[in-house]
Amino acid sequence: MEAKYIVEKAMSAGFDEAVASVFSSHRSYLKIANSRIDSIVEKRVESAQLYLASKKRLLFTNIEKLDEESVQKSIENAKRLVSKIKPKEDYFGIAEGPFKYKRVKLAYDAELAEDVSGAVSGIAQQSISSELELGASSLAGTVVASASEEQLATSRNVSVESKDTMVRLSLRPFFGSVSVQDVVASRRLSGINPEKLAERTADTALSVRKFGRIEPGAYDVIYAPSPAGLILSNVSAMACMGSIETGSPFIGKLGKQVASNELSVFDSAVEPDGVNSSVYDSEGYPTQRTALIENGILKTYLHNHSTAEKYHTKSTGNAGLVEPVPNTLVLVHKNRKKDLNYLIGEVDKGVLVTNTWYLRFSNDVTGAFSTVPRDLAVYIEHGEPKFAIKPIAGTEATGIRISDNIPRMLKSIEATAGNPVQSTSWDSEGTYYFTPYVLVKGVKFTVA
Amino acid sequence: MQESIADFALKLAEEKSDYAEVYLEESTGRSFAVEQGYVNGGSYSKSTGLRVRLLKNSKLYTFSTNVLDKQKIASAISRIRFSATFDYGLSEERAWKADYAVKEAKKIEDADMLGDLIYLDGLLAKEKEIKYRSLYGVLSSMRSYYANSQGSEIRARIPYVNSFFRIVVGSGGETRARYRQFGGVGGYELFNTEKISDELVEEARSLSKVTQQGVSLSKSDLKKIKNVVISSEISGIAVHESVGHPSEADRVFGREAAQAGTSYLAHNLGMRIGSEQVNIVDDPTIAHAFGFYLYDDEGVKARPKKLVEKGVQKELLLNREYAYMLNAKSNGSARSDSYSNEPIIRMSNTYLEKGDASFEELLAEAETGIYVKSFTEWNIDDTRSFARYQGNEAYLIKKGELSTPIKNFVIEKTTSEFWSAVRLVGKDFKLWLGICGKGEPEQGVPVTMGGSSALLSFG
Repeated sequence: MEAKYIVEKAMSAGFDEAVASVFSSHRSYLKIANSRIDSIVEKRVESAQLYLASKKRLLFTNIEKLDEESVQKSIENAKRLVSKIKPKEDYFGIAEGPFKYKRVKLAYDAELAEDVSGAVSGIAQQSISSELELGASSLAGTVVASASEEQLATSRNVSVESKDTMVRLSLRPFFGSVSVQDVVASRRLSGINPEKLAERTADTALSVRKFGRIEPGAYDVIYAPSPAGLILSNVSAMACMGSIETGSPFIGKLGKQVASNELSVFDSAVEPDGVNSSVYDSEGYPTQRTALIENGILKTYLHNHSTAEKYHTKSTGNAGLVEPVPNTLVLVHKNRKKDLNYLIGEVDKGVLVTNTWYLRFSNDVTGAFSTVPRDLAVYIEHGEPKFAIKPIAGTEATGIRISDNIPRMLKSIEATAGNPVQSTSWDSEGTYYFTPYVLVKGVKFTVA
Repeated sequence: MQESIADFALKLAEEKSDYAEVYLEESTGRSFAVEQGYVNGGSYSKSTGLRVRLLKNSKLYTFSTNVLDKQKIASAISRIRFSATFDYGLSEERAWKADYAVKEAKKIEDADMLGDLIYLDGLLAKEKEIKYRSLYGVLSSMRSYYANSQGSEIRARIPYVNSFFRIVVGSGGETRARYRQFGGVGGYELFNTEKISDELVEEARSLSKVTQQGVSLSKSDLKKIKNVVISSEISGIAVHESVGHPSEADRVFGREAAQAGTSYLAHNLGMRIGSEQVNIVDDPTIAHAFGFYLYDDEGVKARPKKLVEKGVQKELLLNREYAYMLNAKSNGSARSDSYSNEPIIRMSNTYLEKGDASFEELLAEAETGIYVKSFTEWNIDDTRSFARYQGNEAYLIKKGELSTPIKNFVIEKTTSEFWSAVRLVGKDFKLWLGICGKGEPEQGVPVTMGGSSALLSFG
């Protein structure tokens, strides 16, 4: 079934605009628990999504089976449903093609596509044996791999195809009472090295042998790449036009200083190994690497064609057909240290946070939030790691919590270490980011 | 429904395994979004899919597909490799033949939900305190057919009404955000526009007062606060986060360690969690509650589970895997959010059981303290030991009566500190809707959380 065929059928039924995405994927999820492969879940999906507009009345629907009869049925049903929807008065349509797309060579792994389930088993076995050899008392984790194909066609002269592969490995080894969680992701199998990730987690876990407690108060924090990305990916979401219209700390801040001078934040869909990279967005418009913040100045909001028309600017390639959506955050800082140890050397009184989860905003309009460090956290004093924060009595939890604010945090990022690496978190499934270690000054901690 | 395809798959799977089950699901859904007066369109979806689980030589394998083609399903089953190294077992359970459907007094397929959202948006637009408003509604219906090689055949039809509201009130450069969710399991009668508008308008006005007249307590004043009265909204989130989640057996025994985390019960089964006043239940059988079901996704009959009795941990939430491990019977807690995901241990409707105090008695008993009516930011560590609930609408209690609005009052306590402080439980009862996330891929299932208000006295 071709996406173009579905679009033609929709247009001949009288719609003003149509976008069809025909999609197939094979995805395998493997769970590691208690140092063993616990379970494997295989998913195979073939589907088509259809976006239709009629006199500014917008409707998303799906086509259940990829045959002509189902297409016809879905379009007839859509025709009936769309008449009941009220117009979106500030809608300005989808982008007019055809387009030339960037010649970015997005990695694709044909070998992985051939054997998705075999790939996850192999990676899991290697990870388990490596962690146990390095002394882990127990290992939990996940290996996910997928191969997918998409055809996208629109009624505005777009017809484009893509093939993607991805693999993600998350390991959480326990070394006695200390746990560390780290994650790597790539579009290619060769981008994942289970032994190396196991070594990194073991090195981190075993880096500090003493334990102690910290007092509540302000500390400089070094975030590992995963928690740094998890927290800062909210910056891209807050810069999307939908957020600007419904409450964001970036309202009225275009062209103004919103971060430290040395910080630049990009939203990119064209990182060659980016799991979410794609040379086209959901309306087939060419994507790009957009400087959201450049040397501390907020340069743009994120747009699709319709919001760009509404605000008399250009699309940033972030469709989202009704509302713009971010792609992948890339964080770059001019004060970049060689590695984590150099960054630790900069800290007089601080905490290394290796993982966080459960970020909740008390107010997403101001950007005020709290989040909970999980796994190893290390107290740093006079440029040296002093001790791992020990669990509160009777539990395995460190009992520390961070309270901060996105605008304050952006202005307080003083340095980074290492190259940005692709990371993600269980707490932000489907979102990826390229982040280094990030040093943030003056972060408030509460303590159990 | 294409039950014949599911039966075909079950027959093939049975031949290849020691135990097999199939779960066929047909779901339809409509959704609508309105933001700042603009209708952001609607969606309609219909999907059907099949999940097959097989157990052979203690190895479990799960696959799912939306391509309901006999040849393709046969080919997928023939390619199965039982490569997992974990030794699974499933508890012996009774085979059920059942067919149940939740009634709709007002059919959801006839409902004009978009019209109602636009009406509500119009009402909210008139409230001068509200700066931003986003409204989102979903009507869905799920039909399922479950069968296993032990003879179970269960058919269910469950309609869902769900809606999310975000309002931001502001004044003098200060804003406060509020999220509410309304709906349940049943017909469109669960979407009561008058009730929703009354509650949202009242909350907007109250939060505006907090913004304009609220005071922040100094550190020394905060230290003096010993008594806190919490509403059912606060007891609900606390029950869910600090008792429900850690009672999930897969967390207790490490299966969820790399995802939603573990549990403080891992080394403390049977521990005292709270005071004698604390009784906590998870019950999927409450009619119209958002977490309602009568049979779980492993074909086990649902029943209420007493998680905490007089302050002591009692039952864990079990599926067949962990029931087998504990040489017990499943208590029907296996749920999946879709045919495409594996069933895992989940909560349903979790609540603090009623006491006998009126709200006035709770305030009188507190005499001096804080009443927390609603919360904004909240979180908890992954063992569920140390939680934070930040008050959104909160008031000072003075001489047993509500007084000045208080800004940003935070309850940040260990689980044991929180539940041990419960001195008196109210006789009110309310369940609050939520979507609970767990697993990988993350599965969001409908739940409720709540129960009664309570007086907490910290030493």
